[in-house]
Amino acid sequence: MRHRGYILKNMINSITSRYTRQGLWSLFLTCVFPQHLWTLIFAFRDMSWLISRTNLWDAIGNASYAMVYAFLECLAIFCVFTLLGLFTPKHWEVNRRIAFMALLFFIATIWGMISQLLYLWNIWPPLPMMQFIANTGRPLLVTYLISLAVVVPTVALPVFIFMRSKKALPSLLDIMDRLSLLSILYLFLDAIGLVIVLIRNIS
Amino acid sequence: MNRRDFLKLASLLPLGVAAPRLLRTFGNPLQPGQPKNVLVIVFDAWSAFNVSLYGYPRDTTPIINRLAQRAVRYHNNFAGGSFTTPGTASLLTGVLPWTHRAFQLNGDVSKPFETRNFFSAFQNHYSIAYTHNSWAYTLLRQFGKYIDELIPRELLMIPSTDTSITRLFTRDDDTSAVSWERNINVNDDGYAYSLFFSRLIQDLQQKKIEHLKPLFPRGLPTSKIDIGFTLEQARDYITNRLTSIPQPFAGYFHFLLPHYPYNTSKEFYNSFNNDGFEPIHKPEDIFATDERENLSAMRRLYDEFVLYCDDEFGKLYNTLERSGLLENTWLVLTSDHGEMFERGIDGHTSDVLYQPVVRVPLMIFEPGRTEGMDIYDHTSAIDVLPTLIHVTREQAPDWTEGVILPPFAPAKEMPDRNVYALRATKNGKYNPFTIASTVMVRGDFKLHYYFGYPQTPGDGLVKLYDIKSDPEEMTDLAMFKRETTAELLNELKTKLKQVDEPYL
Repeated sequence: MRHRGYILKNMINSITSRYTRQGLWSLFLTCVFPQHLWTLIFAFRDMSWLISRTNLWDAIGNASYAMVYAFLECLAIFCVFTLLGLFTPKHWEVNRRIAFMALLFFIATIWGMISQLLYLWNIWPPLPMMQFIANTGRPLLVTYLISLAVVVPTVALPVFIFMRSKKALPSLLDIMDRLSLLSILYLFLDAIGLVIVLIRNIS
Repeated sequence: MNRRDFLKLASLLPLGVAAPRLLRTFGNPLQPGQPKNVLVIVFDAWSAFNVSLYGYPRDTTPIINRLAQRAVRYHNNFAGGSFTTPGTASLLTGVLPWTHRAFQLNGDVSKPFETRNFFSAFQNHYSIAYTHNSWAYTLLRQFGKYIDELIPRELLMIPSTDTSITRLFTRDDDTSAVSWERNINVNDDGYAYSLFFSRLIQDLQQKKIEHLKPLFPRGLPTSKIDIGFTLEQARDYITNRLTSIPQPFAGYFHFLLPHYPYNTSKEFYNSFNNDGFEPIHKPEDIFATDERENLSAMRRLYDEFVLYCDDEFGKLYNTLERSGLLENTWLVLTSDHGEMFERGIDGHTSDVLYQPVVRVPLMIFEPGRTEGMDIYDHTSAIDVLPTLIHVTREQAPDWTEGVILPPFAPAKEMPDRNVYALRATKNGKYNPFTIASTVMVRGDFKLHYYFGYPQTPGDGLVKLYDIKSDPEEMTDLAMFKRETTAELLNELKTKLKQVDEPYL
């Protein structure tokens, strides 16, 4: 117990020494944006079949729960990226750390979207490639290796540019700043969603 | 303790092991003169059309066929509606959907019927209820204050994040679970609301059912807002409860099978594959949405799922019989609505009311009955409650619209009456009917009346079938028997006007 308390204390100390409140808020707002945008797009996409399944109020209820779940997911993702940020070099200034974590978050988000969109748009690897993978005798391993070969450059290249380019940091901070307004709007929608969820569960 | 004491105590061990079981069985037997138990078993979306007992060419219910040799078998029984809400509500309230008003998707009954239902009618019984179906659960919750033991829906489902969500939002379990399912389930549509955790949570959930997957090659039975459940789990739990609870009891158990998705067990997987069965080809309906080839495939999956229900019902029946409970229990086996695979329509979500979606099985297993009986009169789900009240000598309520079914009715002949079914999902709950599907059965004729839909003409679409000589509803007689059609339509419209009156 005492050991756990010690770890927690150390972790909090590390976070407070490497982040500012404003920086954490910016990172949180960055985490809010893509998840909420994605949720809203698909919740609206589902609206018509939900209305036909039951009624408009239930469809609104579905979207409200979705916003609440999205908020919780953002919170969890934010915690993960905040903790990951502790592994960045100590001498980095807060803004640089925040922007770097935001960059990694954007890359992860884009891959999250691509993985779902490929399915949604019915895009599959070419048949000869699938045959080749199947014929290798270790299809799972080969699939992972190919995925890694595709994913690693998409992470490495932006990270390289971020480290080398002087424009990267201000550009990223500018993007985060622009997105923050929309993120606040999404948080407002979350609050409305929460109220609707409460109404549905109290009435 | 010396060796002698130990041996003395050891000799009592077998009794100690058997005692709880014996006490459970004999601890609360029915006293002479007490009303008997009542047990209603509902299989969801179970059409009489796909039951071999009622003449379906595929042998979908071999076990029920055998057990029903001792039951009263109703061959022309009609559900109150064509989906869970009105069908279940009519069964549980003994009134038609236009009276209890639960005809919208996931709707509930009007205020007066919160106190007028199956559970309030059996006040002297210990009442117990369970359903896998979230829409039926909405109704059970509404009747909750009269149910001594309402088993939580998620209790007999495989624990997962879905069941945690429904437990967290008990008052809104259906919508919260649907939203959660849309949040994490990427399998069906390929996308989920969650960008990061969907696959992770889904993989974790799938691990939980890994051991069951070989038993269900098409996937586990599910309501699509949970990871799955099995009838075995529900059967074991329910038989345990029934042998433990005080008697007399009134039990209502509503299993979601054979509702879509038709995920039968390994034992019945591909049972009807390439069996040469060819359903009668019927013309496409104006509400058609599906391909004919697809319908045949779906029908086969459904029929194989019915086999699983048949087998599980057999096991439930045998366990109850062995426990001695059936000697004191009126057992009803029925469904809330049917399912169809014809005319370009599959399932029960269309607005049509052809026989496969409204004609449902009904069997009553009377305690002590050794010979079966076939009843061909037109009966309705609303008759079940007054019949059970009558046979258990409970006080008959004055609000049911049904009649006491033969052969239990004091009168030998069934009264001359119409049987109705209604579908009005798009109509306001307390509005007069402006968009609805309804059927009226009188004598050999069944009149369909659809009105208010974009597909139907301004004055509605009317069809007439002689369901005695044409049970497949192949020949629409509306153009040939104009007088009968006009007479029946007039009667149906008068009835609609009458039920609309309080809402004008």
